[in-house]
Amino acid sequence: MKISYYPGCTLKSKAANLEAAAVAALATLGIDVEEIDRWNCCGAVFSLTADDLIHQVGPVRNLVRAKEQGATQLVTLCSMCYNTLARANRIMRDDAVKRDTINRFMDEEIDYAGEVEVVHLLTFLEREVGWQKIREKVKVPLEGLRVAPYYGCTLQRPADVGIEPFGSFHLMTGLLEALGATVTPFAAADTCCGSYQVLNGEAGARSTAAVILDNAAASGAEALATSCPLCEYNLGKQQGRLLEAGQITTAVPTFYFTQLLAVALGVAPESCLFDLNSAASLDLLKTKNCLVAA
Amino acid sequence: MAYTPEMKELIKRVEATRPERLARARRGENYPALTMAEREEVLSKYHPDYQSDAKRTVQVGPNKGDTFQEGVARLLESRSIVRPDKVNLSTVDFDTDVLVLGGGGAGTSAAIMASQGGCRVIIATKLRHGDSNTIMAEGGIQGATQECDSPYYHYLDTIGGGHFTNQRDLVAALAHDAPLSIAWLESLGMIFNKLPDGRMDSRHFGGSSRKRMQSAGDMTGAEIMRVIRDEVRNRSNLITTLEFHPAVELLLDEEGKCAGAILMNMETREFSIVRAKAVVIATGGFGRLHIKGFATTNHYGATMDGVVMAYRAGVGNKCLHSTQYHPTGVAYPEQNVGLLITEKVRGLGAHVLNIDGEQFCFPLEPRDVESAELIREAMDVGKGIITPTGRVGLWLDSPMIEELHGPGTVKKELPAKFIQFERHGIDISKEPMLVYPTLHYQNGGINVNGDSETIIPGLYGAGEAIGGVHGENRLMGNSLQDIITFGRRAGRNAASYIQGGVTLKGLTLDHVVKFEKELAEAGIEDPAIAPILLPDYATEEVVERRWTEALTDRAALR
Amino acid sequence: MCDADNTTTKKTIRVATGDRAILPEGAKTIPIYIMGKKYDVPETLTIMKAMEFAGFKFLRGAGCRGGICGACPTVYRMAGDYKLHYGLACQTVVEANMYLAQIPFFPANRAEYNIEEIGGAAEAIHALYPELFRCVACNLCTKACPMDVDVLGYISALKQGNIKKAAQLSFDCIQCGLCASRCMGEIPQYHIAQLARRVYGRYIQPRAEHLAKRVEEIESGKYDAMLQDLSAMSKEELEKCYVEREREPDMTAPGAWQPKETRYL
Ligand SMILES: Cc1cc2nc3c(=O)[nH]c(=O)nc-3n(C[C@H](O)[C@H](O)[C@H](O)COP(=O)(O)OP(=O)(O)OC[C@H]3O[C@@H](n4cnc5c(N)ncnc54)[C@H](O)[C@@H]3O)c2cc1C
Ligand code: FES
Repeated sequence: MKISYYPGCTLKSKAANLEAAAVAALATLGIDVEEIDRWNCCGAVFSLTADDLIHQVGPVRNLVRAKEQGATQLVTLCSMCYNTLARANRIMRDDAVKRDTINRFMDEEIDYAGEVEVVHLLTFLEREVGWQKIREKVKVPLEGLRVAPYYGCTLQRPADVGIEPFGSFHLMTGLLEALGATVTPFAAADTCCGSYQVLNGEAGARSTAAVILDNAAASGAEALATSCPLCEYNLGKQQGRLLEAGQITTAVPTFYFTQLLAVALGVAPESCLFDLNSAASLDLLKTKNCLVAA
Repeated sequence: MAYTPEMKELIKRVEATRPERLARARRGENYPALTMAEREEVLSKYHPDYQSDAKRTVQVGPNKGDTFQEGVARLLESRSIVRPDKVNLSTVDFDTDVLVLGGGGAGTSAAIMASQGGCRVIIATKLRHGDSNTIMAEGGIQGATQECDSPYYHYLDTIGGGHFTNQRDLVAALAHDAPLSIAWLESLGMIFNKLPDGRMDSRHFGGSSRKRMQSAGDMTGAEIMRVIRDEVRNRSNLITTLEFHPAVELLLDEEGKCAGAILMNMETREFSIVRAKAVVIATGGFGRLHIKGFATTNHYGATMDGVVMAYRAGVGNKCLHSTQYHPTGVAYPEQNVGLLITEKVRGLGAHVLNIDGEQFCFPLEPRDVESAELIREAMDVGKGIITPTGRVGLWLDSPMIEELHGPGTVKKELPAKFIQFERHGIDISKEPMLVYPTLHYQNGGINVNGDSETIIPGLYGAGEAIGGVHGENRLMGNSLQDIITFGRRAGRNAASYIQGGVTLKGLTLDHVVKFEKELAEAGIEDPAIAPILLPDYATEEVVERRWTEALTDRAALR
Repeated sequence: MCDADNTTTKKTIRVATGDRAILPEGAKTIPIYIMGKKYDVPETLTIMKAMEFAGFKFLRGAGCRGGICGACPTVYRMAGDYKLHYGLACQTVVEANMYLAQIPFFPANRAEYNIEEIGGAAEAIHALYPELFRCVACNLCTKACPMDVDVLGYISALKQGNIKKAAQLSFDCIQCGLCASRCMGEIPQYHIAQLARRVYGRYIQPRAEHLAKRVEEIESGKYDAMLQDLSAMSKEELEKCYVEREREPDMTAPGAWQPKETRYL
């Protein structure tokens, strides 16, 4: 099976691990990832500001590319990319006035009206592959590994683009369980990681991160799974400093869900680029026998 | 303008002979090249340089008694833009170590090397920095970098191509420095066409014994120019660039050393005086003189200024009677007339054909021979193709390239050409191009030695403005090499000349006074005023309506 | 016009010489509006030649006259159409009722750097041009490019850290500045592209090893005597060497062939 895929800028640099693992994992599932041609930035935070239609042009252009290339659904991994693309798609599908303005502005492109469905990989895995099939394909079950499923904000907010209803975490839970891990639900799973606040209020962002990490540790988690490079930065990168400053006491190694998926499916750890993670722990995976034998 | 239906009919004749010609090309068979004797014959009969009409001898200056084309002779025997006795040389506007005249490839590399030697540099150039012949060069740059090649063969090809009239120390310098220049460009970040392992993807060209042509797409000159201009901009602490500031006269000091130049701000028409311990003339060629009415490939400012200024200062020139006509200038569509179609097209295997689709020459003869053969086929044999605007041309069968090297090669190897023709509705991977010789290169220029020095201390020359490197005929890819080799040498040597200690005495224009006196003594009436800086393309009708005769004050309208 | 009768070659026709345009016999003129003012010019001329035909003399706005220097960017609209068009005056053919103006210069910020020190990582480019991240993908830059460069494409590639892709996509850039003139993010695209290409050429594209070796040989003086000998030869001796030299076969790959005579390599 072939899927049209939108990566996002960060996944081509700092978060190459998020992507590499996904691609490798999907390959073992017989899914061919085809990156759309000529994509641009998803729009990131710009497209989320209230009344600035021009900033929708970036995300919409990617959707146009996908439509042009014959896709009916466009899969993406990063929470932020998913969010901006899905929201731009909403506007194009539901808001006739804005749709018309944007289409007129982009008169060098074909008209677009939300024809392509933006799908997050978690949704895709449940819907098109199924947890059962994944369970069958697992080579190295993550048995005994206790993982906190961290959603942050952009996977579920706003409700009309959320990958599942606010307060529900069954997608990531379903996946982690299928991989053999023990899921440790925790209250801060949908608390914002601090997002771009880290740029102008680092202290504030750091204390938010501390709350999340503390809460995860308290739930008994040994590791945390996320799908967002920004969350990974805020929780992972800051973790060392928080430990040092004594703001938290327990380390919670942070992984992308694609990395956990990949190792469970028997992908070699080198293909998952763990060295790019800020606070992953290969040792943890090793002691838990979660890595395929070299 | 796409080809007209009539022309499309004619193209069918080209297509009819193509399979047979391709088969021969695949077997490695070529139309036989001319012998030395045959070459000479076709040159003497058909090459514009060898025809005696519109030529004359000059009566003043270092080349007194030599014969030149009328347009060139007139500028050698010209008056200055300024009245030398009225210029106040005591207020100096800019003081610098090295003044480089010309912001093309030669001038720009000279500036970089001089700054490398610790000098403060001013580049004064006529148009924008980089608006030059350099930026237009497409095909490539020579340099014996491959194992099967060496400076020895580069020397031989060059001097043979120049009919053994080249100045030998210059040829030796060129062949010697060529790989060094290419390595320099590579280290500055120029993108060459390379094979995946980094090997230069070099090619043959007219007159080559080895594949020595290195290129950057079909924008080699543009890529060189972009890179070295960018490098100059990174050195703003030492190099100042003055755009739209051509030099109009050289300044000497009382001891006869070169000591700067007079510049003109073309936008405000103000003059300024630059005092410099060394000056590099890198003002390029003379295509815009349109010798014999030929169209040209050259940029807008190619008007021989440097040669004119040096001539008045006492520096003569060589080989300037010899002009290179590029055999394949565009003859259709009208918008592109005169523009160059790189020799690379023939290097890649395209045949030159007459109206019947027949080959009549070896496609990779030296350029002058090739041009003469085209002129003969069109004018004498009468097998040219006439365009709707009354120009004549011959076919260049570019679609052969797709057949020989695989579909897509034309677009990949000749991207700029492809776009240029596509804009006008012609797909050169499917349809041949119509070509005719066009005025391309000033073979000669001012006299320098292998160190880029003229006979005047402190005055250097580099690039198309100098003469002797190519003799009476230049091989493709040798002038891009010439500008880097001699540009770098000029910059480096100017720096070391200055480091040796230079004290300038009072500035003078006495050489101009003296030269103009000679003009008067020789009885030359109504001499041109030069450098002419820019050509004038006003039509006769416009000139008439400007009422030049009825004007009270002509100068007010300039 | 393409009379099969070849004698037409010898018929004298009033043809344009040099670059001066003429109105060929029987040719039509069309109205164009140069900065709003009407002129009648022959069909089929480029904007540049048409303006000269009309009596303008360029100072700025003309350079190579061959579509490669970027001196002559021009914007125009057709009467009655909102669409802005962009082109090079030396390459774009006039059409009736076009309203045109040249933009011979547009200011754009350029960052100085040292090519020896910059290195091959995209972060260095990001640091010199943080405005790169002001791109909202409006694509006006691409629409404005007279060379059909995918400007948004290379800007996107640079944001993604893909210098090679940016270098390749921007290779045809002639730095006319039209992209920068249209950018709502105020990005100097063409300067950034130049930087990316140099970084690519210097640090990412593989170096030519045979070239490095040749440089060493030259610097060791290996060819000095050979070149001196050549310079000392008579014309006849040179001619003999010239005629006798072997020609590398056309269809062999570079680096694959060796001549029989190897003394002068
Ligand atoms: C279309 C074309 C294609 C070519 N292709 C090739 C090729 O494939 N390979 C090859 O080796 N060669 C090629 N050549 C030849 C080669 O490009 C030129 O000979 C060479 O680049 C000249 O460089 P230059 O620096 O001497 O002069 P230019 O690059 O012409 O620079 C001269 C500069 O001096 C300035 N100037 C002029 N007068 C004055 C003044 N009075 N004061 C101050 N500045 C002044 C000009 O404005 C210009 O900027 C080609 C030439 C053309 C025109
Ligand atoms: S004049 Fe150089 S691009 Fe038009």
